[in-house]
Amino acid sequence: MVYASTRSFVFTNHKGGVGKSTSATNIALGIVQLLRRANASNCRVLIVDTDSQAHASLVTTGRKDYGADDSLYSVLLADRENAAQTLLNCIVPSQWDADLHILPASPMLEGAERELMGVAGAPYRLADPVGKIANQYAAIIIDTRPSFSLLTEMALLAATDAIVPVEPRYLETVGLTSVIEKINDIREGWRHPTLRVSGLLVTKMDSRIRGHNHLLAEVKAHPVLGKLLLGVIPANEAVSYAHSSHQSLFTYSPTAAASKAYLQVVASLVRYLLKGGD
Amino acid sequence: MARPNHDTSRMDDLLASVTSDLLGDLPQNLVDNTIHVERILLEMVRPDPVQPRRVLPDAIHVRFHQNQITPTQALRELVQIVQLAARHRGRPFTNLLELLPNADDERDDETTVQLTPEEQLLRDLVNLAITIRDDGHVNPLTVVDVSQGVTRLFRIETGERRYWATWLLRDFLPNYTGDGMIPCIIIPANRSSVFRQAKENTARSGLTAVALARQAALLLLTVHGYEIPAYAVENDFYRQALELDLRGKREYTDVVLSAMGGIGRMHFSRYKALLKLSDEALELADRYQIEEYRLRPLLSVSAEYHAEIVRQIIDFNLTAKQIKELCEGDDLDTDATDPLDKLPPAAIKMARAVQASSSTTPQDIARALMQREGDAAIARARLQALQKLLNEAERYLTTDQKL
Repeated sequence: MVYASTRSFVFTNHKGGVGKSTSATNIALGIVQLLRRANASNCRVLIVDTDSQAHASLVTTGRKDYGADDSLYSVLLADRENAAQTLLNCIVPSQWDADLHILPASPMLEGAERELMGVAGAPYRLADPVGKIANQYAAIIIDTRPSFSLLTEMALLAATDAIVPVEPRYLETVGLTSVIEKINDIREGWRHPTLRVSGLLVTKMDSRIRGHNHLLAEVKAHPVLGKLLLGVIPANEAVSYAHSSHQSLFTYSPTAAASKAYLQVVASLVRYLLKGGD
Repeated sequence: MARPNHDTSRMDDLLASVTSDLLGDLPQNLVDNTIHVERILLEMVRPDPVQPRRVLPDAIHVRFHQNQITPTQALRELVQIVQLAARHRGRPFTNLLELLPNADDERDDETTVQLTPEEQLLRDLVNLAITIRDDGHVNPLTVVDVSQGVTRLFRIETGERRYWATWLLRDFLPNYTGDGMIPCIIIPANRSSVFRQAKENTARSGLTAVALARQAALLLLTVHGYEIPAYAVENDFYRQALELDLRGKREYTDVVLSAMGGIGRMHFSRYKALLKLSDEALELADRYQIEEYRLRPLLSVSAEYHAEIVRQIIDFNLTAKQIKELCEGDDLDTDATDPLDKLPPAAIKMARAVQASSSTTPQDIARALMQREGDAAIARARLQALQKLLNEAERYLTTDQKL
């Protein structure tokens, strides 16, 4: 498949527990599967896990004991000339699919932030190497930590599209505009004009709760947020069971409402990819 | 809690629900059968280990393809070899740019400087690197996607010199402003062709006779269904082709001969026969680009003499006629059988007399001498001359027993 340029989707929100890692990993697998089903010549997808909790690495590879030599940490600390090669060396296959690859996170990423603080060009230490290998993948999915730290800035600079998962709760939706403003700040402040907020993903939606329905209606009615709404993922126990068994939601429970909702999101993103990001 | 298995076929029905919608209006974007150009990270590109046209000297070539050294280390070894050779020849250099001819120097001694093959190779690579630095990559490399799993790898089909020149530029030359990427025409693995590679090779000048021999072998092995390995091979791999020919593969004859540059069957066989040369002779002949017609006479002599004769060809720039005379005139195989045949008859007679010295007495020798010379003074002078001759001969025995 010829992509005008590979799209990199960053899943970000400074609020924790909104489903960033769940969405990133399952959507990544969905893109692989959907592209393969469509006989695409390149259906490889890379997940870059920038969260030191390494949840995305754990559920997709069954491990979270990545260290200084085999994780994102070594990429960030590598010489500029060797960073892309280091990145290639650190990529591991997932247990979910042979074409789903992971650049795993490590608890040492906390230290990397301190080590890189004040180092010239530090915010680009992810974007540079990822940009050099991006054309090998149909898409790149970046999972971030629940804060606006140097690592999150790095992830945003390495991305072309930001997707903001959000729970339909009052405080989360209040903070939503500040998340989007922060992304816009990165775009303007770091002169990264190709970065854009491409989607708002409402997660853990429980239609039995009146407040959820009310807030979802408000988002839909909002002149900006309404246009960004990418999908609504219902709250589903299958998600936590899938996590605990280190399986994707699609494999664990393909008939679950959340699986179907995620697949609709995947279909939208694949369509977006095939149109070259238009 | 029940643990469902990892069978991804469980997703099939779910995927089917969206695939038809997705494929409805965008099918043309999904499958790519075109050959396209992409910029690829230099580290993801590797030369073909069985490429008949070798750029690096054999020893470095093998170690590089056995993953014992990186591209940068391979080039560093080449630079060190060239520095040593250049120093021995009285033209030391510290900066690679010194290898290039000085445009301001109007002296005509450039033509008289005889560069070693390694010096010439490095000089050409530096020149190419400077061209790439100043003008960019005008021609992309042709690479085959041989990625497996998470290992992304592209094997060079054509353009290995540009690959090495780019590494040289990146790691050894000043003012590199690139980003470590190289433009490549990517060919899917299933469309890789040893015939296309051969045509590309023969279409260019400078393909040595030994490279053509390897190429002939590679084509023969391919049409006979041998698996071409993806790692560095010894010459014995190519020598398997000595037992093969095109007679059993008539349907491939034209395409093989065409890939070899449109040569005839006789020339094809001659190139292939060069693989009978010893390993050392092959390496020397390849480095010094000795032509097939000058190597052909060597096939009539034993392999143990091949390297020595090739060295003489290089040192004395022997013509084909001289090489033929050397190989046919001096029967090297029988050289050691009876060296006495080549000695003067008088020397052989003398040696036999020395061997028979115990079968006579001094009185008999004196009487025989007097009988032949008729004068005691002359006989004495003959004996003194003989003594002097024997002393001299003894001296040769101790200093050079091989004479």
